[in-house]
Amino acid sequence: MRMTFGVDEVTTDASQKNCEQWDSLRHLTLASELEEAFDLELEPEEIAEMTDFARVVAMLKSKL
Amino acid sequence: MKTFVFRNHTIEPLLGYDGMTYSGYDDISVVPREVDRYIWFYQVPVNADSAQLAEEIDSYRDKLDLVLAAADEHKPFIILSLVNLFPLTMTGNDTALSEAISAFNSHAARLSRERAGVKWVDFSAFTSRYEADVLINWKYYFMSQTLINPKLVHDFQHWWQRIEQELLYNRKKCLVLDLDNTLWGGVLGEDGIDGIQIGGDYPGKAYTYWQRALLQLSRNGVILAVCSKNNEADVQQAWEKNPAMVLKREHFSALRINWQDKATSMQELAEELNIGLDSMVFLDDNPSERELIKQMLPEVVVPDFPEKPYQLMPFFKSLVESYFRIYAVTSEDRAKTEQYQANARRNAEQARFTTMESYLYSLDIQMDVIPADEHNLPRIAQMTQKTNQFNLTTRRYAEDEVRRLLDKGWQIYCLNVSDRFGDSGITATIFIEPIDDKTASIDTLLLSCRILGKGIEEAFAKTVFNLLRLDGYRQLQAAYLPTARNGQTADFYDRMGMTLARTGGDGAKYYEMSLNDVFEINNCYNIRVL
Repeated sequence: MRMTFGVDEVTTDASQKNCEQWDSLRHLTLASELEEAFDLELEPEEIAEMTDFARVVAMLKSKL
Repeated sequence: MKTFVFRNHTIEPLLGYDGMTYSGYDDISVVPREVDRYIWFYQVPVNADSAQLAEEIDSYRDKLDLVLAAADEHKPFIILSLVNLFPLTMTGNDTALSEAISAFNSHAARLSRERAGVKWVDFSAFTSRYEADVLINWKYYFMSQTLINPKLVHDFQHWWQRIEQELLYNRKKCLVLDLDNTLWGGVLGEDGIDGIQIGGDYPGKAYTYWQRALLQLSRNGVILAVCSKNNEADVQQAWEKNPAMVLKREHFSALRINWQDKATSMQELAEELNIGLDSMVFLDDNPSERELIKQMLPEVVVPDFPEKPYQLMPFFKSLVESYFRIYAVTSEDRAKTEQYQANARRNAEQARFTTMESYLYSLDIQMDVIPADEHNLPRIAQMTQKTNQFNLTTRRYAEDEVRRLLDKGWQIYCLNVSDRFGDSGITATIFIEPIDDKTASIDTLLLSCRILGKGIEEAFAKTVFNLLRLDGYRQLQAAYLPTARNGQTADFYDRMGMTLARTGGDGAKYYEMSLNDVFEINNCYNIRVL
């Protein structure tokens, strides 16, 4: 996540709203990298829901 | 570096964000001039109507022309070729789309030849590595207009880095080869000249292809050298007597065929060729030799060598793509290869003559002593900047400084050397400062190391001394100023018969000589004063 957004630190309260670098394009890069890292497939609807750190974690948990 | 990118799809994940500004999708209305370079990276859109798509592709050609007309012509402009990532036609004879794509690509390639600064990059070199269903990830395409699968981003970035190096003409300069089981199959010392595997059927055939490929590499300006533990006489015989051998003595710029450790040999090769260890690639079938070089000389690139001869061609391709591809071979590169090869032929010639003098006669050396003029002045200045080894005073001059010295009445000559193996070009210069009517002083005397070892430096200096004498000078002053690199010239003026007048700090030596008598010059040189 740090690499994707080019920031030094990602806190657990990070979201698309409070992180400037977390734009729609890099959101997809994040999704693609999560798919690779956890060897899973995310549906477009699921990707759209992962708007903050907690939801990303919840989504990954539901998939693993 | 600020780059402006023209595009019609989302490509930010590929080229990144740092220093990049992207046009709108298929938007050429803004062509900024305050950038360092431009990139044109269009992709063939997805459209089932191939006739409509062909028309759209045709319009890209006009758009590219418009953008080029508006762009700053002094800035690099990189055009990536169009690749149809999703070929879809209803009928087998529908070629309109593929023709439109070819037409765009030929147009772009032609622009790159006609307009300085325009570079053409073949994007299919990247896409052809992947299956069609890997190239596009439809989920991400529909979410973000990204045609190239985001999972290929790292591969793409790796490929693109190499392309940027190619465009900067960065590559390794020299490929150093082992012989047994590397350049040919088998061991020369055991199998004999006709027993080694080269030519004929497999495995000899694989080594023939490999040697032909290496020959092409050398024709593209990469220096080949040999580092082998062998008897040099056996190898010379193999080169001369085995008719299947493609690469022969003259294709190698330097040889280390002996029994010393290869790390020492590699260092000697780097010195002889006057290149850095970091511009060398070392090939050897023996893993322990490779390990030695990796340990002792970490700057040298040491790729693994294929186990089987049939793997040599794909190995060659990966070598080229990883280390030796550049955007274009300049005429300078080609000349360099020729010059190194001419040197190799001269060395071979030298071996045939018993005395140095008969060798020099056989070379038919032509020396043209040319007064400095507007044509050779840039080269003269360049030599003062670049020459380190045979350079008595190592004074660096810019072009306009040399021009000013000429205006002040200095005599400046350069020397063009050729022999029956080729023309070495302007490779020496001398700067004479008039002190008074009778006295002159040598400010600068230098020779390119390419032409050393043939007594040319002495013949050149003596010719100029005779000219000075004809001009009425009777006394000559000269100096040797030591540097870390010019030790070989420390006693040059002693050898020329000059008298050491005094020594300065740091080992500087100041000389004097009278110009009363004519200097005799060995007549194995054909000297003209122009």
